Amino acid sequence: MAKSKFSRRRLLAGAVPLVAAGPLAKLAFAEGSQPEQLPSHAGRGHAALGHASMVGAEVPAPGGPNDLDRLLEPPAALSHQPGRVREYKLVAYDREIEIAKGVYFPAWTYNGTVPGPVIRATEDDLLRVEFVNGSTHPHTIHFHGIHPANMDGVFEVVVPGASFTYEFPARPYGMHLYHCHSTPLKKHIHKGLYGAFIIDPPKPRNPAQELVLVMNGFDTDGDGGNNFYTVNGLAFYYAKYPIVVKRSQTVRIYLANLTEFDLINSFHLHGEFFRYYPTGSSDQFEYTDTVMLCQGERGIVEIDFHNTGLFMFHAHQSEFTELGWMGFFSVVD
Amino acid sequence: MATDVAVRGRGARARWRLWALLPLVLLVGAVSLYAATASSLTGLLGSSPPPADEFDIRRVEFEPGKITIRVTNPQADDLTIASVTVDDAIVPFRLDGPGTLGRLRSSAILVDYDWVEDEPITVGVTSSTGIETAREIPAAFETPAASPRSFLGYGIIGFLVGIVPVALGLLWLPSLRRARPEWLAAFMALTGGLLAFLGLEALSEALSLQAALPGPLGGAGLVLLGVAISYLALTIISTRLGAAEVERGGLVSGVALATLVATGIGLHNLGEGLAIGSSFALGELALGTFLIVGFMVHNVTEGLGIAAPAAEGSGRVGPGRLVALTLIAGAPAILGAWVGGFITSDLLGVVFFAAAAGAALEIVVEVGRYVARRAPGGLTSPYVLGGFFGGIVVMYVTGIFAG
Repeated sequence: MAKSKFSRRRLLAGAVPLVAAGPLAKLAFAEGSQPEQLPSHAGRGHAALGHASMVGAEVPAPGGPNDLDRLLEPPAALSHQPGRVREYKLVAYDREIEIAKGVYFPAWTYNGTVPGPVIRATEDDLLRVEFVNGSTHPHTIHFHGIHPANMDGVFEVVVPGASFTYEFPARPYGMHLYHCHSTPLKKHIHKGLYGAFIIDPPKPRNPAQELVLVMNGFDTDGDGGNNFYTVNGLAFYYAKYPIVVKRSQTVRIYLANLTEFDLINSFHLHGEFFRYYPTGSSDQFEYTDTVMLCQGERGIVEIDFHNTGLFMFHAHQSEFTELGWMGFFSVVD
Repeated sequence: MATDVAVRGRGARARWRLWALLPLVLLVGAVSLYAATASSLTGLLGSSPPPADEFDIRRVEFEPGKITIRVTNPQADDLTIASVTVDDAIVPFRLDGPGTLGRLRSSAILVDYDWVEDEPITVGVTSSTGIETAREIPAAFETPAASPRSFLGYGIIGFLVGIVPVALGLLWLPSLRRARPEWLAAFMALTGGLLAFLGLEALSEALSLQAALPGPLGGAGLVLLGVAISYLALTIISTRLGAAEVERGGLVSGVALATLVATGIGLHNLGEGLAIGSSFALGELALGTFLIVGFMVHNVTEGLGIAAPAAEGSGRVGPGRLVALTLIAGAPAILGAWVGGFITSDLLGVVFFAAAAGAALEIVVEVGRYVARRAPGGLTSPYVLGGFFGGIVVMYVTGIFAG
């Protein structure tokens, strides 16, 4: 109820009642100034408050223990063999997916998941991606990287029921991404048509435990702003199921930002520093614990953990963190 | 022969009564037929739009380390509580009640939360379809629990803003009794203007409250219902009171009219008490000294409104009658403060304010009829016109000062 309703309900000039109201006003003062309801403090001391309540089985996250393995663990890198054909098949179809505990989103997917499957090739492979549109809207696949204009996923719009095969040599090496480039672009991206695209360098990278983390958001109420934020599509999933890594082994994360609506997203690791290779396309790195990525920006993170235990990782935008983009590494010996 | 006609008449009447049932029977048939085939009909028209999936957040209560959010499903389709946020952060929650709510079913959402006293806080409840209903609380503070102390507290608030000013206003009665008839008519008209102002204000309040309700619960028709019920109820009462005074032309006058005015003012104070109580309980109103004093001073006019017709009556008005008038007009504020403080329902607020509007308008009509017949110079006398406009202007001007 609005305060305004009281604005006209006060103060009538009137001499006799005013005089009579004087003593009573005192009574009102005493009552009004010391309402017994006002607490001296808001209360503390609950055991399950804060982050302590947001790790492990109690976390409100959807899915089972191994549901995201296919998105988290990329296919193995292959050695450099120029001209080798690498084939993938992507089918676009509409699917309602659970993106936060109990919250269902009518997504547009590649192969049924958001993000779509990880596509991986070695530089100079011939990449052949067959795309079938099983959805109700026209879609494309637009790959980042170097390729001919007619393989760019901009002009060759694939209508529902049709298919198209993208074919081009994979280059340059680095961490890339792919997404639908149909219009309206915002709609086609935020509905879920995107994924990670890794091109390995001719000289293999050092051995590591490799992970893919695609940062994204979901606008569940259609107001042009995200209601939930995740990595790999499920809010708080890695808080409920921490990612188990070994202290003795380098952890390599292929990190991409495919968040729509919000201009930037970020990755912050607790208790550790990491090497960050922007776009993963050179040996240049920054030694840091926080990186900021614009929409479509991506890179490679390499961590050598010094300690064991639970280490949080999350967007350093607190809002994103508390709306689902938060998880833990469980570092073991 | 006569018996025969009577029998036949009875038979025919019975037949026509049965015939009157026919439309109802056919309606049931048509409805069932439609229900059985509705899907094919909507198929012809295209699919129907999805439900709004918004919750009705009825009440948010704060205890140390804990927030309780009471929600109702206002729509026909089931609604599932999937996610809960506090200040745009997802929080774990427990439910006291079902997680999937059928139509008009309710649940309490319990959240362990270290909220900050006196700061604004927003709670959100998200359905399984991802639609979030948010409610902003201007200032979080511990919700008064239903204890004897708070019961007494709300009671005193109602007493101060309801009974005290009315009783004070009635003290004008002896002066009014000695006033000249023209001046008495002017004060009667002032009562009319005052009630017209209150009625319009209550109507506007009811309309804006219903607009804030979830679609299926709201509607201007709900306001009309409240207005019509109280208007008609008061019409019946005034007709009865008027019938007892046939010798005065069936007009309601004197103490009877004063009782009627008190009833209308009482209904208004019920709504006002409800608004004060719930606003305070929800942290939307700083219960400052000035506000209570302001209400008291302002509501003294209500006592004057009751005193004017009472003064006009021929008989002496005893102290018992005065106390009764005071209670009729003022005590509902106490009841309203209790209801608002402990239950809080915008739906109830709509009904209360609508009833207040209907009552006020009915009494304006009643006072108008009375003044038209009995006042020297009738409705167009400068005293009456001046009194009526004076009532409105005084309310408006004091509103500006209070604003």
